[in-house]
Order: sequence, then C-alpha cells, then structure tokens
Amino acid sequence: MTRQASLARQRRAFLTWCLAPALAVLAVVTLAPMTYLVVTSLTPLNLTNPMTAWNFHQPLLNYRLLLSDQRFLNSLWVQAKLSFWTVGLQMLIGIGFALMLNLRTSLLQALRTVFLVPMVLPPIVVAIIWKVLYTPDISPAYWLFKAMGLNVPALITDPNWALPAIIAADTWEWFPLTMLMVLAGLQTVPEELLDAARVDGANSWQVTVSVLLPYIRGTLMVAGLFRLVDSIKAFPLIYLLTDGGPGSVTEVTNYYAFEQAFNFSYLGFSSAITVVLVAASLAMSWVLVRMTGWGAAE
Amino acid sequence: MAIIRMSRRSVVFTGAGAALTLRAPAVLGQAKSPYAGTTIRGAAFSLPFHQYLKDYFPEFEAATGIHVEFDVQAFPVYNQRMDLELSTGGSSYDVAVLTFTYQGRWLGAGWISPLDEFLSNPNATPADWEPGDFVGQTSMRDAKGHTYGFGIEAGAVILWAARGDLLDKAGVELPKTLADLPKVCEAIHDKDNVAAWTGDNLHHWNWPPYLMDMGGNFFKDPPRNVTPTLDTPAAVQSAQLYTDLLAKFAPQGVLSYTFDQAMESQLSGRANMRNQAVTWAIPLIKNPASTVKNTVRFAPFPSGSNGWFPGVAINGFGIPAGSKNKGAAWEFIKWALSKEMLAKLVKDKGYPSICRRSVIQGEPFKETLTLNGQDVGALYLQALERASDAGYMKYRTVPVFPMVGDKVNRAMEAIASKQLDAAAALKQAEIQAADDIKKAGYSIDL
Repeated sequence: MTRQASLARQRRAFLTWCLAPALAVLAVVTLAPMTYLVVTSLTPLNLTNPMTAWNFHQPLLNYRLLLSDQRFLNSLWVQAKLSFWTVGLQMLIGIGFALMLNLRTSLLQALRTVFLVPMVLPPIVVAIIWKVLYTPDISPAYWLFKAMGLNVPALITDPNWALPAIIAADTWEWFPLTMLMVLAGLQTVPEELLDAARVDGANSWQVTVSVLLPYIRGTLMVAGLFRLVDSIKAFPLIYLLTDGGPGSVTEVTNYYAFEQAFNFSYLGFSSAITVVLVAASLAMSWVLVRMTGWGAAE
Repeated sequence: MAIIRMSRRSVVFTGAGAALTLRAPAVLGQAKSPYAGTTIRGAAFSLPFHQYLKDYFPEFEAATGIHVEFDVQAFPVYNQRMDLELSTGGSSYDVAVLTFTYQGRWLGAGWISPLDEFLSNPNATPADWEPGDFVGQTSMRDAKGHTYGFGIEAGAVILWAARGDLLDKAGVELPKTLADLPKVCEAIHDKDNVAAWTGDNLHHWNWPPYLMDMGGNFFKDPPRNVTPTLDTPAAVQSAQLYTDLLAKFAPQGVLSYTFDQAMESQLSGRANMRNQAVTWAIPLIKNPASTVKNTVRFAPFPSGSNGWFPGVAINGFGIPAGSKNKGAAWEFIKWALSKEMLAKLVKDKGYPSICRRSVIQGEPFKETLTLNGQDVGALYLQALERASDAGYMKYRTVPVFPMVGDKVNRAMEAIASKQLDAAAALKQAEIQAADDIKKAGYSIDL
C-alpha cells in the first residue's frame, strides 16, 4: 500500500513536471494579460496622462462610474438582445438546415458547400455585402422594393430596424457554423436507434424531437456556447454598418469599450468594461452548462 | 524642322552635365541638405493634398537626398492609430497630419514637437518662407503662442446647391439666413426627384455653425473653461433645425452617409443643397462623372440671430515628439508648404484648400476657384478670415473635443431618427460629456 502510494505520488510529480512548461506558457499567454486587464481596470489610466498608469488611489472608481453610466447600461441591454436573437436564430436555422442536409440526397450533398460560404468569407467582406444591401441608393433589394411600390425605410439608420438589420447579417454569416456542428453530430447517431424508434411507431417529427436532438445535446450545447461567446465579441458588422447608431441603438458593450479605449484613450475605464464583460460571459456560460447538465456524469 | 547646331566642346560639356545629372542626384542633394541619406516616414489620412503632393516627392528627394515614405489610412482609422502611436512616444513617424479633430488633444498632451526652434533659425527657415503668410489659425499654435504645425488643408464651410436650376424654377435663391433655409428646402424638395438637402455623418463638424449662429457654443469659454454647454436653448433650437433638414429633406439613409456618399448624392443629381467645407463642392464641377457641372451654385453659409460663424477646420503637418529625424522632417514640411509648391498644386492640380494668403490671393487660385462664374475662392478666404478674427473655433482646440464630439454625433442621430426630442437628447449629451470631461481630469462648473 505504501509502495503504491509512493508510486502514485511519483506519477503525479512526473505528470506535473511534464505539464509545467505548457502551463507556464499558458499562464504567460492568457493569465498575464488578463491579470494586467484587471489591474488596469483599477486605475484611471488615460494615455494622455502617463501618470495615471499606476494610480491606485481610487481602485473602484471605474466600476462606480459604470454603475451610473447610462450608455454602458444601455450597451448591456443591446448586447443581451443581440446575443439572444443571433444565438437563437443561428441555432434554429442551423439545426433546420442540418436536419435537411442529413437526408443525404445528392442535391443536398452538393449544396452543403454553398451553405458554408458566408462563414468562410472575411468579416469585412460580409459587412460590405450587407452595407450595399442596406444602403437604399445602391441596393438591388431597394430597387426591387421600389419597383414593387414598397416604401422600405433605410434599415441601418432607422432606430426600429438597425438592430434587426445587424441580427440578420450576423445570422446569415454564422448559421453555417451551427449547421456544420449539428450535421457532424447527427451523423454520429446510430442507425439502429432510429430504426428502433420507427419500429415503435414514431413519426419523423417524434424521431427528431425525441431521439435525434437529445442524442446530440452535447453538440448543441457546444454550438450554442461558441455562438454565445462570439456574439459578445460582435464588432466588424457594427463598426462598418452602423457605428453603434443611430444614437446608441446598436452600441453593444464590446463596441463601447472599444470607443472608450481607442477613440478617447480611457484605457482604465475601458478595462473595467471589459472585465465586467468577461465576468458576465463566464457567468452565463456556467449557468447554461449547469442548466443543461452538460458534462455531468450520466 | 529646326536644326540645332552644337560645337564639339558644347557637346562634351552637355554630355558631361547630363551624365552628372543622371548619375548623381543624391550627391547633389547631399551638397544641398545636411540630411541627405535620411529616410523620413510620414503618416496621413487619405486626402487630396497628399494625393497631389506625392507626385512631387521625387523632386524633393532629388533636391535634398532625403527619402520620403508615407502611410496613408482612412480618416477614422488614422485618428485611432495615430492617437495610440503618439501616446507611446514612438519614433515610427517623423511627419504626421495633425487632424482638426485630434490636434488639440495631441498638442495638449505634449505629443507634438514645437517648431519654434526651426522658425527662429534663419539657417533652418529662410525669411522668404514667411510663416506669417498662413492665414489665421492655419498656423497651429497653443495658448502660449508656440507653433506646432502648418495647415495643409483648410476646410471652410460654405453652402452650395448642385441643382441651382431647381431653385430658379421655384423662384428662390440660396438662403442668406438660417430662418430661410427650411423655407428654401420646402420650395425645392422632391422637385425633379431631387431631395432638397444632403449631408454626412460628421455632425460635430456640420452642426456648430448652426449652434453658434444662434448664440450657442460647445463649451462655456474654451479653451479656459471646458464646461459643456450642449443643452442651452440655442443648442436645442439649432439642433432641431439641423436635424429637421436631415430628417425631412435629405435622401433616405442620410444618417449613415460618409463624406463621399454625401458628395455622390449630389454628383449624381439625387440631392441638391449641402453645407460643408469647400473641398467637397469642387468635385461637383471638376469631376468628369458629375451630372450637375453646369448647375452648381455657391453661397456663404447662412447667418443666424447671433451672427455668422462658418466652420473652419485645419489639417496640418507637424512633427511627432518622438521623431528622431526632426531636422529632415522640417525640411520636408518646409518644402511641401512653400509658396512655390502650393502655387504648383493650384496650377497643376487645381487644389482649392490652400492656407497661404499670398497663394490664395494669386491669380491662378482665383482662376481655379472661379466656378460657374462665381468667385468661390473669395467665399473661402472670407470664411477663413472670419474664423481667425472672431476666434470662435477655439472649441476645437481643447483636448476633450473628441469625446464631446462623439456625444454630439449620437445626440444628432437620436434626434433625426426621432428616438428623442432635441431637448432630451442634448441633456443626455451634456451629462455624458460632463462625465467624460471629468474622467479626463478637468474640473468643470457642473
């Protein structure tokens, strides 16, 4: 027993030493910048005044300012709406297309690659495509609307439509990712499981809802989390299509942090925004994982 | 055909001279400049001055032996990158465009090198270069009188109509007062499928002439007191007028228009009137793609109840404090903004935004800017001098202007898109601006 314990200890030590270099690199690459971000958020760092870099006289000032900053609070609400709709729509459309492509007809097999195109385009190209579509002067869609006698407002400058316009563009760009992940998950479902359900009299809808989707629950969870994290990082579409406007209708938290840091040099304040954003992302991911029981022992 | 007879001796001398000229421009340059062999790096945003000037870089390089390289970016990207670059005190750039939006901030932070040492040294700056020839604020000075840069481009706000013929048909003229402006728009709107008005999304530049015409200002007493004054009755009234023009009389989607898009809406004949810097009016006549060449009309920016305050913005060349080649950089600036070079830009390229009085008052400039029979050069100089004499552009020289400008942009969009009324939007802008100014370490009266 003692010998076994000693062996186990030696084994743990060996593994620790093997992992140490990788952990050290990981710490430098990820934890150090994160720590610096948190430390900076406790200072009023402003690039126009270098003396503010290590000023810790009021370490919680930035966080107190955030609580009363209407633009920040509005940006959280805009972020919540953007994330809810983009993740929801991308999951629904992605699952729908994946189920369709899983039918494995030759036509759909050929179409698979076409559906992936939006995802592989550089974000700047996607933004340009949608900018053209949303600009009444040059948009083929608006020419069509005009020919049909429809008076459609300029979507990206209308406060009621600007956020839906961003959601539509973001959904178009990223639903292929969820589609691809769900399709990969669907192709791991054992055929005998589906046969058994059919023998028991389940129709297609019941097979999908009661067999296929529960079986790929883990995949759906990962896809949803990926998209949620990415939705919080939404930037190019907002930067190029609306600049956060009109007013602050499409100004998400990430964009507000960018403005504070890069337009006004308030790095301390911007770091505080980013820390709140990171904390919120981690909390949301944790809640989602707990709610769905993903990763728990079956 | 003329036959040129040359003696054997002259052939030999000419050949030798040609060989020297071809083989050794750098050597000659070295004789002329102590900075020969230096490479200077410049940073600029994409603007006509740079486009035109770069064609002459080889001349400068041949004359001085200084090699010039420039990085050019879009305006917003340039401001962001340069802001970061200057804040590090880096030596990446020797010459930079001091943009009108950020120059107050950059000068205030000590990120730009003063030029006084060069200007007071007759070896570095000959007397005939005449720094005093730059009109008013086009030589960029701080409150203590130190000079940091010289204008490469002055934007002086005027009013113009792309389709003057539609004004004639409606029996109206370009308005002389702000009170008449909406009336004229009403009279010509949607005539011949042309929107009466157009504009771009740089509201913190376009709106202040309305604000000041009606008796308002950005700050209480800039640059001494930067307490924002964005929610005054004059501000509310002028914002209402300004946003009404955009909401009622401009093409659909105008709130997202950039400079170019606004210009394009006029070039293609889809929109009629606009107020902006004169630079944006010239292409309506000079651009081959323009459909409105013969119908463009110009006028001074309208006056208001408080007087006449056309906006004037200067972008200029300066030397970053971290530059390691300040002497060579000054040689370049001196050359680029010499009377001779600016006169050449007017003559060869038709460049309209000159900052030197002697060039503006010269015949070639007048010829270039006499457009459709109107002396636009006079309108330009009139606005430049008005801003210099009255000193009302000081609000742009304060370091917190970019932050407050952002609040104004958002407020104007909120009003024009009917999210908030003018009073509420400007109250919100006032509160947010005050918070940001305090964050920057300024004490204000609020």
